[in-house]
Amino acid sequence: MTDLQKEFNSYSKDITMASKDENIEKAISRAVKSYRQTTAESLERFPHTPELAAEVREIKKTSIANQQALLKQAMESVERNKGKAFYAKDKQEALILAAKIIGTGKTIVKGKSMLGEELSLREYLQEQGNDVWETDLGEFILQLNKERPMHILSPSIHVPRERVAEIFTKFFAKEVPPDIAQEVAAVRDFMREKYFNADVGISGANVVAADTGAMVIIENEGNVRLATGAPPVHIVMVGIEKIVPTFQEAMKVTEVTWRYAQYGVPGYVNIISGPSKTGDIEKVTTYGAHGPKEFYVIFVDNGRSTMAKQDDYKAALHCLRCGGCMYECPVFQITAGHFGHIYMSGIGAVWTAFVAGGMEKAAPLVFTCLRCGRCVERCPMQINVPSMVQKLREKIVNG
Amino acid sequence: MHLKKIKCYFKFCNYYLLYWYFFFVFANNIFIILMIGVVRLKNQYGTTPYFIEYIIHRLKLFTFGQFFNLIIIIRLILLKIGWDNMAVEIKLPPVLEIIRGNIVKNGNPLALKGSEVAAWAKDLKLSSQGDLLFYTGGEYQLLPYIDSLVSTMTVMDQGSKVFSFMMGARNLINKTGINAEKIYASVLAKDRERFNSISYKAAVILQKLGYDLCYSGDKELYSGALLTELGFNIDMQTYAHKVSKVFRESKAKTIVCLSPHAAEVLKFVYPKLVQDFNYTIKTFVELIWEKRSNLPQISLNKTVVIHDSCRLAREMEITEELRDILNSMGVSFQEASSNRQWTTCCGGPNKLLYPELSHTIAARRINELKETDADIILTSCPYCLAALLGGQTKDDNTIIEDLIEYLYRGFEA
Ligand code: SF4
Repeated sequence: MTDLQKEFNSYSKDITMASKDENIEKAISRAVKSYRQTTAESLERFPHTPELAAEVREIKKTSIANQQALLKQAMESVERNKGKAFYAKDKQEALILAAKIIGTGKTIVKGKSMLGEELSLREYLQEQGNDVWETDLGEFILQLNKERPMHILSPSIHVPRERVAEIFTKFFAKEVPPDIAQEVAAVRDFMREKYFNADVGISGANVVAADTGAMVIIENEGNVRLATGAPPVHIVMVGIEKIVPTFQEAMKVTEVTWRYAQYGVPGYVNIISGPSKTGDIEKVTTYGAHGPKEFYVIFVDNGRSTMAKQDDYKAALHCLRCGGCMYECPVFQITAGHFGHIYMSGIGAVWTAFVAGGMEKAAPLVFTCLRCGRCVERCPMQINVPSMVQKLREKIVNG
Repeated sequence: MHLKKIKCYFKFCNYYLLYWYFFFVFANNIFIILMIGVVRLKNQYGTTPYFIEYIIHRLKLFTFGQFFNLIIIIRLILLKIGWDNMAVEIKLPPVLEIIRGNIVKNGNPLALKGSEVAAWAKDLKLSSQGDLLFYTGGEYQLLPYIDSLVSTMTVMDQGSKVFSFMMGARNLINKTGINAEKIYASVLAKDRERFNSISYKAAVILQKLGYDLCYSGDKELYSGALLTELGFNIDMQTYAHKVSKVFRESKAKTIVCLSPHAAEVLKFVYPKLVQDFNYTIKTFVELIWEKRSNLPQISLNKTVVIHDSCRLAREMEITEELRDILNSMGVSFQEASSNRQWTTCCGGPNKLLYPELSHTIAARRINELKETDADIILTSCPYCLAALLGGQTKDDNTIIEDLIEYLYRGFEA
């Protein structure tokens, strides 16, 4: 028997505490303001965006409807590019696949990925005896501080620079002042060495083009370029909902994602379709030139195909993970990622129910949602989270 | 919520299956025993030439029957240990059950009596039938009690046994140390009066603008918006019919709702549940807007800021109407930075389960509204009104009012 009251009680304490946390308040109010401002500016600068978003909605809709066919095509494309493609039905399978490729005693550099959080990938690989480093600055801070992310794009949104300085001073065993530039520099020095000594680089992907097998990864820090380029092995772990039919469509999805994800124009967009190769000597194709010699893609299902079959919820798979809705959510604004279980805020409640923790973990979130609907105003995919939340409540109440 | 409740109220709940299974095993065994009995009787009183074959045939049936039982028993065991995900019994926080039970049994979320809900209308002598039905849904009247219930819950451990005995504010068991009367008595008379009078004021304003209203009086029932909101859709299916019956008796063609939540369910949910639900659903704001040229001027020397309610602004898309109304009364008003379809929720909706969180959200919204330096915050939703009032700090003298209260100033005398 599931006693939801217990889940509700512990969650209730946590979220109430969070709502009184001044660090969260300060950090999120600043973040919300800057999000709204940058987004308004970039929408003005690129006025075609809403139209493009409408196009992307259609692309996502057809992609989710043809999920299985696209998955097959994407896997074939990866193989044709001399990569290795795998399909993982659930969390367990995904982790075992990754562990088989990696083995133990390896050094791994990892890019930020919500799927990684969903799978507890870092923890698992560490248990297998590997040395795993988060290369995204925010995730790195959380890794050192043993915390979970508080926002899907800015995971350490709630940690102020003073706290970062403390954490770094302790970890690097040398004085790091509470100065953002110096904090960034300290991590840069430390990571550089890791990139070039790592055995494996792991990343997610924002979009996958089925026709070419191209993985598209948006970033600002440059950590993904290094983490996916320097080590001899690159593993992509990506949810099957990220696949769209063509490369051209993938580019559209990418642009909309970054625009609503407050990148303005992102520093880097990585497109990776296979292992590095050269044909420069006698036109003989040889793999493993400057980049990785081995390239693996694990397509993870873990509840996504079930979700795709349910009319009430399948639109949640259109989510680009731009994070826009979170800034608009009145609950998230005062509690950050505490309003979530791996996936956050209203859309997170839906995702949690299907792929990350199930109904038990989702129920307290589902009943926290105000159903105020402001997230829908923001969402480029116009995902109707309030109506999904209501459907979930019916599911919970009716057993 | 207890197992028993689930069994009674959620017919389609899978636990129901379990009882059927028990019944089948039981019935099957009785059948087998009876059959063997019949065979014995036959044996005593007259022999059949095929007796041996007959008993073998029976034995076959018996084995077959037991085989059937075995399947059922295995399934039961599976259900019990939870292999079959159909058998998840979920125990919800008791406050949800309180609200649900009260709506279904008493026709409003806090088990107020019909006469309590309709007390405001005594002097108005509204007829019970007419074209235009004035529908309060008891929502403004309820507000002071909701806060009282919530504060009772905040001091109690919602997970405790005692708490789950509570079935409706009116039916609180005295043993728990909090009784219903205490909750009712703890509501200040002035609050009760204030919220009761809002419905009165709304009716007077509409009458003075020339609308001919009818009202269902103590028969009026709550809309059931919370049933839909909280996921009690199965209860809502029957409840909506009960409510529609009251609507039908009024012979009205148009229903004017004071609460946007009521308007929302009547407009979007009822037509799906009740056949021939062909009423025109209007909000109070819309009726006022239609007669805005007849509105009196109000000069208060106080600036106003509008708090758009989520339901009104986003679901019903009513935003400009509010501004037009204020403009036609010559009221100068400010705009909050998050307004119209970008309005910030007052925090009201999760008050029942997370009172403190809800409170903080309300306080934040008040701060946003106060950035405009307005003296009066105006809203047009009972829950917004209650939530914002609840989030206000003691030393804050910003006035928080419902549009109805504000308008009434121009109609007094
Ligand atoms: S639900 Fe919409 S706004 Fe929220 S992260 Fe997904 S795409 Fe972005």
